[in-house]
Amino acid sequence: MLVKLLNTLLMIVVALSITGVINRTRAVLAGRRGIRFFQHIYNARLLLRKGSVYSTTTTALFRIAPTVYLGAAIVAFLFIPVADLEPLLSFHGDIIFVAYLLALARVAIILAAMDTGSSFEGMGAAREALYGALVEPALMMAMATLALFCGYSSFADIFSTAQELNMNLTIVLLLVAYVFIIIMFIEAGRVPVDDPKTHLELTMIHEVMCLDYSGVDMAFIHIAGWLKNAIFATIAANAVAVAFSFHWWFAVPLAILGAGLSVGIVESLRARNKLSRNVTYILTIVAMSALVLLTGFLLIQNIEI
Amino acid sequence: MMYLYSLLAAVLLIVAIFITPVKHKVWVATGIIAAAAMAAFGIALTVFSRGTEMTIAEFSTPIFGAEHFSVDMLSSLFLVIISIASLATVLYSRGYVAGYLKTLSPAHISLHYTALVLLVVSMMLVVTSSGGFSFLFTWELMTIASFILILFEAKRQDVRRAALNYLVMMHIGFMFLVVGFVLLSNVTGSANFEAIEQYFKIANPLPLFVILFIGFGMKAGVFPMHIWLPEAHPAAPSHVSAIMSGVMIKTGVYGIIRLLQSIDHNTELLYTIGLIVLLSGIVTGLWGVILAAMQNDIKRLLAYSSIENVGVILIGLGIAAVGHAAGSSLIGMCGICGALLHTVNHSLFKTLLFFSAGNIYSKLHTTAMNQMGGIAKHMPVTAILMLLGTVAICALPPLNGFISEVLIYIGMFNGVSDGHEVLYSVAGIFSLSLIGGIVVLAFTKLYGVVFLGSPRSTHVAESSEVDNLRIGAMAIPAVLILFIGLFPQFAIHPISLVAEAITGADNYIALEHFIPTLQTISAICWVLLAVVILLYLLKRHLQGKSKVTEGPTWGCGFTAVNTKMQYTGESFAEGLESIGKPLMKDTVDGRAVDKGEIFPSPHQYNIRHKDKVDSLLGQWWVQMMHRINKFVMRLRTGRVNNYVTFALVFLVAVLILTLVGIL
Repeated sequence: MLVKLLNTLLMIVVALSITGVINRTRAVLAGRRGIRFFQHIYNARLLLRKGSVYSTTTTALFRIAPTVYLGAAIVAFLFIPVADLEPLLSFHGDIIFVAYLLALARVAIILAAMDTGSSFEGMGAAREALYGALVEPALMMAMATLALFCGYSSFADIFSTAQELNMNLTIVLLLVAYVFIIIMFIEAGRVPVDDPKTHLELTMIHEVMCLDYSGVDMAFIHIAGWLKNAIFATIAANAVAVAFSFHWWFAVPLAILGAGLSVGIVESLRARNKLSRNVTYILTIVAMSALVLLTGFLLIQNIEI
Repeated sequence: MMYLYSLLAAVLLIVAIFITPVKHKVWVATGIIAAAAMAAFGIALTVFSRGTEMTIAEFSTPIFGAEHFSVDMLSSLFLVIISIASLATVLYSRGYVAGYLKTLSPAHISLHYTALVLLVVSMMLVVTSSGGFSFLFTWELMTIASFILILFEAKRQDVRRAALNYLVMMHIGFMFLVVGFVLLSNVTGSANFEAIEQYFKIANPLPLFVILFIGFGMKAGVFPMHIWLPEAHPAAPSHVSAIMSGVMIKTGVYGIIRLLQSIDHNTELLYTIGLIVLLSGIVTGLWGVILAAMQNDIKRLLAYSSIENVGVILIGLGIAAVGHAAGSSLIGMCGICGALLHTVNHSLFKTLLFFSAGNIYSKLHTTAMNQMGGIAKHMPVTAILMLLGTVAICALPPLNGFISEVLIYIGMFNGVSDGHEVLYSVAGIFSLSLIGGIVVLAFTKLYGVVFLGSPRSTHVAESSEVDNLRIGAMAIPAVLILFIGLFPQFAIHPISLVAEAITGADNYIALEHFIPTLQTISAICWVLLAVVILLYLLKRHLQGKSKVTEGPTWGCGFTAVNTKMQYTGESFAEGLESIGKPLMKDTVDGRAVDKGEIFPSPHQYNIRHKDKVDSLLGQWWVQMMHRINKFVMRLRTGRVNNYVTFALVFLVAVLILTLVGIL
């Protein structure tokens, strides 16, 4: 039980820190001192205390959606182990459950965006639905690669198997970690797929869906975003940890720094994709994750023969 | 003597429908269907509790010899599905048909209800028939009954066209079945389903399998034989679409399962056939879902989604067969349980969704999505029920669609992690996840455009909630969706018994693996609900301290917002168009606004994404007939002397041929 609590605590640390690292990295690369490391937490606390304005076009669905969004993210979050620690929830096949919980969160926010009747939010919803649909196979392929290597279909079992891995498999696992980081870019709406800092609503995806949210709802959406980031960052770090047989004290900083630095650096160094190129970009990731799986399969076959 | 009595009873019941006053015909039909459903339910329960086959009637047919109607595990599962859906359908039909009582003649209404009763009874007979003549007879009865049901609004030309199209397609499928059963009877001396196993042992199994697979696939809507579905469903009244899409196409799935059941002992054959089923499932699923996402008509979208769901069921069956052949009974069990449960689930949420579409159609008299919007405010109960169906069909926790898909996934992930048939499992996972993703796109589009936002036409404001009986009828599938989703461990028990009967394997694997997993899933779904409710309470608490106000939707600084500016169904799926383009052929009426037009004039623009298979299968032979016709028409000159010449040429030709000795 203590281990489970430690795991949850570490995951919370990861979730709270990633955004801080991203902000600091961007600031340093731009030559600024930047805001406080935990400024985003203060912002969220401020939002929790603020009032809300609801559009008269909306129905009750609009008010329930953020709670479903955050609720699904919280439950998915509880499934994720930090390296070889035991998560709070786990069962055979939970990798599928987590993927579908994230889909549930997505459906809630898409429907809420459609509920406002705003063309901007409809635009964001349509894009989110499309990218979400396309990224799903990439996620499943990456998870299947992990299942193939470790012989299990639950996160806890996959990452707790300390295995003597061949050097080739290490490379494949690093590629899996890379795929998870890219999936995080897409799911979190970061450059190169989406730019949360853009000033033009026409080009936004994730942020534009929440235009009509304020106060507590907005805070919920932000918190769910941190949790989702933590989920993908930790899985990526775990894949690396498995590859090198590292333990949790290595996976935690790796998750924070790996995700934070990569988002921060990519966002500072390159521009957002042209929107019409995003589909190609995501499909490339899908193809890549399928290729990683097939490569891994061939390698495993060779080793056994 | 027994047949005479049952025939007499049938005639009496039909007469009863015809002579009752027009308002009460529905109750006669309800009575008959309820009685049939109760009987079927009772038989199914008996079979389940005893675990043995139960023969209802035995008889001899002139063509294929001895046949019987009997109920085994698989039949009883389908009997339950048919009973529930048909009961909900007939209850729903009262409110829907009530709108037509003044415009249609009483005989028309009587015919409709007679056909509905006939459809229900024939479906029940199809799934209990032993094969051969009685199967073909009831199968044909089912086709004709549904044909009459589609023709409800026979005054509309598109309805007549769709119904005829349906009838032709079904008869092509029927011909395949006839050929298959005759072949079977020629080789083995019996046309019963049990004889297929024997046939597979003594003769080359693949031709028979392919012939019967095409015959059943035509009903089930397997690619490329799916094209009747998106035509027939928009034409049929909604309760008919519900029963056809929810249940009738499942009789095709039933046939395919019977086929798979017959190849239990031949591993190599099972493997090959499993692959065929898996591949056709993948193609059907992907084709169905991409086209579903592109549709702008509610019922056409739902029809394509039925095709996609048949694809998912076939993926489950295919992976089960492949896994079974490879020696992993766990994959086999997961696949088949998932496929069977998905069959049940789809019959529930698809009836619910078609009922919702019917509610909208009966108030707005259109199924064009882009004229709707904001209906949730006018029809709140329908909106909630439709949301339930939407979440269920997107296979999201905590509802039933998720349970069946997760079983198929678990089977495939076990294949990957245990190293059994990794490549096929990966293909299955890939396509199932892509299908799952695009389903979300298709149904958020449907729900978002129809129920949410602001109204796109003035009709919406005039709509109101439907009568309570219709809501009650919709509650039947809704409650079952919730039950299977939240208590899957109970729902899986009968399913695993059926799966055990099909595969002949011991179901301790299933019990050992599924039940704990499903119990956990159920518990976590409750946790999810609890978390969401707690968060909502927390939010209410936090908002209690601060000011909550209402205002217009934020227009990003633009104040002259018009409801027509909202995202439409077409624009919502725009991004997918580039991927779906090779599958479709667009037909455009009118002209789009030119980019150079600074002050655009009013334009009419209507685009429809047509299935490419439709044009490939439906049109090339029509064109060829046209060409042949044109050639033949040249001979029709209208001059008597020419015709006399033709007659002379014919006679001379006959003479010469006789002399040479050919004739």
